[in-house]
Amino acid sequence: MKIDSGDTAWVLASAALVMLMTPALGFFYGGLVRRKNVLSTIMHSFFILCLISVQWVLWGYSLAFGPDKFHVIGGLEWVGLNHVGLTPNADYAPTIPHQAYMVFQMMFAVITPALISGAFAERQRFKAFVLFSLLWATFVYDPIAHWVWGAGGWLHNLGALDFAGGTVVHISSGVSALVAALVLGRRLGFGKEKSEPHDATMTILGACLLWFGWFGFNAGSAVTAGTLATSAFVVTNTATAMAALTCMTVSWYHKRQPSVLGAAAGAVAGLVAITPASGFVNVMGAIVIGFGAGVVCYLAIQLRERIHVDDALDVWAVHGIGGTWGALATGLFATIAINSTAANGLFYGNPKQVLIQLVAIGASWGWSIVGTFAILKLVNLFVPLRVQEDEEVLGLDISQHGEPAYAL
Amino acid sequence: MDPTTVIALICSAIVFAGWLVLPHSATVKPRVVSEERSEVSVSA
Repeated sequence: MKIDSGDTAWVLASAALVMLMTPALGFFYGGLVRRKNVLSTIMHSFFILCLISVQWVLWGYSLAFGPDKFHVIGGLEWVGLNHVGLTPNADYAPTIPHQAYMVFQMMFAVITPALISGAFAERQRFKAFVLFSLLWATFVYDPIAHWVWGAGGWLHNLGALDFAGGTVVHISSGVSALVAALVLGRRLGFGKEKSEPHDATMTILGACLLWFGWFGFNAGSAVTAGTLATSAFVVTNTATAMAALTCMTVSWYHKRQPSVLGAAAGAVAGLVAITPASGFVNVMGAIVIGFGAGVVCYLAIQLRERIHVDDALDVWAVHGIGGTWGALATGLFATIAINSTAANGLFYGNPKQVLIQLVAIGASWGWSIVGTFAILKLVNLFVPLRVQEDEEVLGLDISQHGEPAYAL
Repeated sequence: MDPTTVIALICSAIVFAGWLVLPHSATVKPRVVSEERSEVSVSA
């Protein structure tokens, strides 16, 4: 196998783009919380970048992509990056060094648990967060990644289409976020006191940086620098823009004024929804996916408010529901005209693909619910999940880290 | 024209046309904060 310098350069650049998404997420979330919790919120993302960077090279990559065991998990043969060197791996990316593929995938493993942190913002104990993140990455993310992307994974063998992580990243994190929000319970004053974002500009900046980094997330998943990466890049931008326009318009109709934060959240919803489809749909499919994301995620946010679930930053609505819509839409609009190695969807004469996508969606929902609930209960045996009431009132920046965000 | 294209055009039309019928300005008027400074007595 011959290493292609163009492919290698693109994948390494994409890895850096996806890495940027994690601090971008920190800003996106950070602007939405109250001032007394912004440092804690940003720290969740920054810390996970460090934690999973180590976990991945030690055992995460081996579990997710290593030699298949019973189609459900990778083995431990690649622990410590044993056998993961600089020659290409034919199963995953035959034209780039194996470690380039590994480090690209690392950044996906980093951002996925970071996404969950939005659900328990402003109330989770940092020590509990540390333990939860490590266990969740190992026992929820790594297995699902193997099922969908691993050589021999059962969903991969079934023919489930997930180009860049609609199921692996967004359904898993979004559904897990819902479980975490329910287990931890509502913030003090939820429903009685209005909790306003302390810095909307920080959130918009975060959304824009997420958008930028997502080009690496989706187009980089082509693991080649050519036509497929180009197509993924174009549909990513199109779906995101359409979702932002749609969400803003829906909020304008519903609340009688166009919400800036609604537009930003809509953009993120579009990014989420196009993720599984980005290597399989054309630009018209991207427009429909973006439109659907804008509508569906807005409705999911309203539903979450109506049932009084304190998923603080709407992780389930944007990522869980957005990812579900995207995975389903992949089964509708996939076309081999874009990716000849994949399959057609319903609108291109293959209704069976929708059923396969539903299996993948169901499996991701199911394992995320069971795994997250079990891990939270396990962690709670050793350290309380929530901070105490006076710590929550004081704010997590001071109570957990002893540092204020702003010296004002 | 394939069905995906038709649906995409309909979605786009809904969003673009929708802007024509939505309110011209925010219905919740922001509270205006006076920029004028109030006099403060300073001891000699």
